[in-house]
Amino acid sequence: MNLSSAVYSDWSMPSDRVTLKIPRPLYERLRRVVEDTGYRSVNEFVVHVLRDLVAETEGDPPTLTAREVEIVRRRLRRLGYL
Amino acid sequence: MRLALIGLDGVDPGALAQLLPDLPTLAGIVRGGSFLRLRSVDPPITVPAWMCMMTGKDPGELGVYGFRNRADHSYTGLALATSARFTAPAVWDILGRHGLFSVLLGIPGTYPPKPVRGRLVSGFPAPEAATDYTYPTSLADDIRRWIGSYAFDVREFRTEDKAGLLDQVRTATANRFALARRMVAELRWDFFAMVEMGPDRVHHVFWADHDPTHPKHDPGSAFRDALRDYYRFLDHKLGELLAGLPAGTQVLVASDHGAQPMLGGIAVNEWLLQEGYLALHEYPERPTRIEALIREGVVDWSRTIAWGEGGYYGRVFLNVAGREPAGVVPPGRYEEVRAELAERLTALPDEHGCPLGTRVLYPERTYRAVRGIPPDLIVYFGDLAWRSLGTVGWNRIHLHANDTGPDDANHAPCGILIAEPRLDLEEEYGILHVKDLILSRFGIEERG
Repeated sequence: MNLSSAVYSDWSMPSDRVTLKIPRPLYERLRRVVEDTGYRSVNEFVVHVLRDLVAETEGDPPTLTAREVEIVRRRLRRLGYL
Repeated sequence: MRLALIGLDGVDPGALAQLLPDLPTLAGIVRGGSFLRLRSVDPPITVPAWMCMMTGKDPGELGVYGFRNRADHSYTGLALATSARFTAPAVWDILGRHGLFSVLLGIPGTYPPKPVRGRLVSGFPAPEAATDYTYPTSLADDIRRWIGSYAFDVREFRTEDKAGLLDQVRTATANRFALARRMVAELRWDFFAMVEMGPDRVHHVFWADHDPTHPKHDPGSAFRDALRDYYRFLDHKLGELLAGLPAGTQVLVASDHGAQPMLGGIAVNEWLLQEGYLALHEYPERPTRIEALIREGVVDWSRTIAWGEGGYYGRVFLNVAGREPAGVVPPGRYEEVRAELAERLTALPDEHGCPLGTRVLYPERTYRAVRGIPPDLIVYFGDLAWRSLGTVGWNRIHLHANDTGPDDANHAPCGILIAEPRLDLEEEYGILHVKDLILSRFGIEERG
């Protein structure tokens, strides 16, 4: 899938990621916030919060590739929706 | 406080009431709770109906009138409604702002996945081979570990192999409920919501076998009990899931629309052609989709007043001067032409001259707001007992075969809402109120 936004890119590719530095006391506080939540790490939590923040101002919606659109269109037609 | 919303696509209140004695899990919830008719949106179709339920917004407010919507006023600009089109906050967005976690599985309209405070597995109509279908993406690794591959839906729907299809639906349902059980057990959540597409798939294929009032019903059919047996299977899977929920979890079971016998199809563009609203340079030798005719330049736009789209309901678009690229209807005559079309579509009889009971909706009178580009008219042939066929080349208007393969059921305007604990409500409830109902269970009064 070709999602244009880096926000949705494949996290397994290190080249798509950068390191941000935050004060250690803040990291420790975040670690306590994240404990016993659905988030697996401070990193995941911070990314979520930042995505939320950016989405409100930017809105870079995920899109489908032309091929995906065609697959979905054919599928909808077979299912009788179109 | 935890709440689980189990969505069952297309479950009809009348059919379910008949089946309920065979469904111990659902009957048990009904005994201790409420069983209401849930009035869907117009059109009562999977997309946008589920997202209307989750946002409390009608299709006009969302600007999503179906799976495909006009992106512009060109003749070919139909865009798929992906998650990006649903910009209004969903119930899980509001819960997230209040610090609550949601685990979401298979809700139509959530592909591609968007961030959520919690976990999300995208829903129909995600492409079968989709790889990035979860939020966060790492959830897909957990799913592989938990259940192997995840099936979004049945793979091959239009098939004469009904036994094989039934197997497919059961496999997909078992797969989704297996994942649901792992998600509720392994992940942190306050709100869990899932949608199972199986009932709708079974209705479309086995409704005539099940329903003695269906014109195609054959009492000797080998599949007479297929629908009932599937519901028993579904009820068993639901029971397994509910048994794994933490004690005290509140439960809602809902559907996005109902089902009814499909009596036939109206070839909407054949009718428009016959009545002089649509003009072609050349009549196709065999049934051809209107999109193909438009793409190949076969539609004579200089003489075309209106064209239509097929689906479980009909959509009619006017060719308006200054709006469409080669529009002919003067803007000053738009309302007059539209009213004439609406009146004539409403009066269109069946092939024996009997009234069809067609309803025609005007978007601006149907919705609280009209965003995006709505169809000029929304048409429920036979009040949805007949589907709309967009293809041209049949040389007739009334058909009793679908142009996409066998199909015995159409959608009906009311789905279900089953709730435990009991709801102090009337017998019919609106789908747009479900979001606030969920929020109120969490003590959240936020509106909008």
